[in-house]
Amino acid sequence: MKAEDIQAILDKRKKEGGGLIAILEDVQAKYGCLPQEALKIVSKSTGRSMVDVFAVATFYRSFSLKPRGRHLVSVCVGTACHVRRSALIVQEFEKQLAIARGQTTSDREFTLETVNCLGACAIGPIVVVDGHYFSQVNVGHVSRILKKVRDGLDKVEVKGDERIFPVEVSCPRCNHTFMDRTHLIDGKPSIRVTIAFGNQHGWLRLSSLYGSYNVESEYEVPPQAIVNFFCPHCHTELIGGWDCPECGAPTVPMIVRNGGIVQICSRKGCRYHMLDLTRHA
Amino acid sequence: MAEKILLKNVGIPGSERLETYRSRGGYRALEKALRELKPSEVTDAVKKSGLRGRGGAGFPTGLKWSFVPKDVPGPRYLCCNADEGEPGTFKDRVILENDPHMLLEGIAISCFALSVVEAFIYIRGEFALGAERLERAVAEAEEAGLLGPNVLGSDFGLKVHVHRGAGSYICGEETALLESLEGKRGLPRLKPPFPASVGLYGRPTVINNVETLSCVPSIVQNGPEWFASIGTKGNTGPKLFAVSGHVERPGVYELPLGVTLRELLFEYAGGIRGGRGLKAVMPGGSSTPVITAEQADVKMDFDSLAAVGSALGSGAVIVMDDATCMVEVALGLTKFYRHESCGQCTPCREGLGWMVRLLEGIEFGRGSTADIDLLLEIASGISGKTLCPMGDAAVIPAQSTIARFRDEYESHVRTGGCPFKSAAGKVE
Repeated sequence: MKAEDIQAILDKRKKEGGGLIAILEDVQAKYGCLPQEALKIVSKSTGRSMVDVFAVATFYRSFSLKPRGRHLVSVCVGTACHVRRSALIVQEFEKQLAIARGQTTSDREFTLETVNCLGACAIGPIVVVDGHYFSQVNVGHVSRILKKVRDGLDKVEVKGDERIFPVEVSCPRCNHTFMDRTHLIDGKPSIRVTIAFGNQHGWLRLSSLYGSYNVESEYEVPPQAIVNFFCPHCHTELIGGWDCPECGAPTVPMIVRNGGIVQICSRKGCRYHMLDLTRHA
Repeated sequence: MAEKILLKNVGIPGSERLETYRSRGGYRALEKALRELKPSEVTDAVKKSGLRGRGGAGFPTGLKWSFVPKDVPGPRYLCCNADEGEPGTFKDRVILENDPHMLLEGIAISCFALSVVEAFIYIRGEFALGAERLERAVAEAEEAGLLGPNVLGSDFGLKVHVHRGAGSYICGEETALLESLEGKRGLPRLKPPFPASVGLYGRPTVINNVETLSCVPSIVQNGPEWFASIGTKGNTGPKLFAVSGHVERPGVYELPLGVTLRELLFEYAGGIRGGRGLKAVMPGGSSTPVITAEQADVKMDFDSLAAVGSALGSGAVIVMDDATCMVEVALGLTKFYRHESCGQCTPCREGLGWMVRLLEGIEFGRGSTADIDLLLEIASGISGKTLCPMGDAAVIPAQSTIARFRDEYESHVRTGGCPFKSAAGKVE
């Protein structure tokens, strides 16, 4: 921990008029916990007594005084998930990670916690790992979730010499797969999403071969039209963090199985795409 | 209901964007309010519409607004309570994620009515997507002159801040929310004084729920009589029902207040999962007393549910089938409340821990009949004896399940354990 880093957070928040909670959120985000030294600096700089700062730091559950694991697994035990047997899911995570709820594995990889209602009861039981939602979880899914977290959030080796290879993608929001095994393109399962342009609203199927531009769609998309992409499951719009460097249209993100993100341009005819297999947060 | 009001834009591509919202008639109500109405006329319209708060208490919104003193100089605030944390509730999330501009329009009109120039939206820390979309919506609206110093070119100005919570159930209680906004522990305040006179930073403050504020644009646009024609007498307007638990199609359904529970569960939510029998329902979130299958014809509105000894609460309908152990449900919820107790009031802080120990005893075969009565006695020693309504809410799961399913508690005591364990295993 560096004193300058804490000071930078304090300066930024002071400029924006943010209060103590906002400052602590930034410190928590930077270190994954609230180190005592940092709280001392915050106390001195804000003029709030150490007791005051400590009182706030221990009241809210998103703050932690102890370091958490690299991955935070939150199992919802709110009433709706509870009646759908989420207690069994917690037990299964405890068994597989060999820790009790509230604890962190000795390799600091996983912290397991239970939460009360994440406000997503319709798709419960819910497990959230690093902000990633897994819905309708049962005991049998636990090992798959852990594997996915271990694989998906770590670096993945890609054979660099293969220029064209199949990818399997899913929604960044709800995690449901886009792969349509009943409809093949290039002899492989296609990627099915929902698109909208003008007054049209229908399906679009893309080749799952990275490097192939074959697509089929319910409605003919005019050349150069910018199309809005949606998840066919949760209907969230797929919007990337940046605009296409080639034509300026928004990019469309999809999560790649085994880790990474593929981004494609939303403009018909533009062939910009980018595959980032290194890491995604 | 043929016409959707609160969910009318949900499912439309890009519904969270300003251009989509405006292309579907959005911000016309704000324009109408600013150009044609006086602030007092907006308040009168909300009063006449009969709108009651959608956060849980069902207090008449127009009346709440009228408590704000008119003649006090200095700033006054509006806080939108988007700290949706009541177990089973996921209705505000739908609005925050899919139609943030409808909420912002409601906030802007309400602030105009109340002469408020600074508003805060307190959103749950866990709602990352909702907060992002809300922040983007605020930026879009400011850019378009719908928020900011001169709203739609008028001399009414409004600054909206989005504040993310840090994970605390009690911060949904309005005075705890104010403390948290001020950067402190979320400890509820003693009332009176009420926030309408002494609220955020000691200033007059109105606190309304997301769904409540989202009703305001349609009231202004279509008139209070139109709004009052939806629902039943004294319980007007559309309501979002968040149905979860053992139903085939859990989800958020928009229906007029006064729809029967049976219709909601069997016509909309697809009936009980796996063809099982209905056992019990918490009709308005985990703080509302359970009702039984025999009461399924109750109308889902504030007054009808109160008449059967329960409450509409937040409209979160948690459904439990006949394989559900009510002692286990009460235990799970009482544990939750014990954890979330802020610790200020002794009855809530100490009593809930005691209740958890007794419930664990009954569930795991160490309980006695006297423990059941003791639970009720402790509950009555907490209820009504705390600063905030959480004490009352916290004892409801145990109190109401004993009231309606006492035989189940007794069979736990008699048989020395939970008779549902084997049945529950089969459900998975």
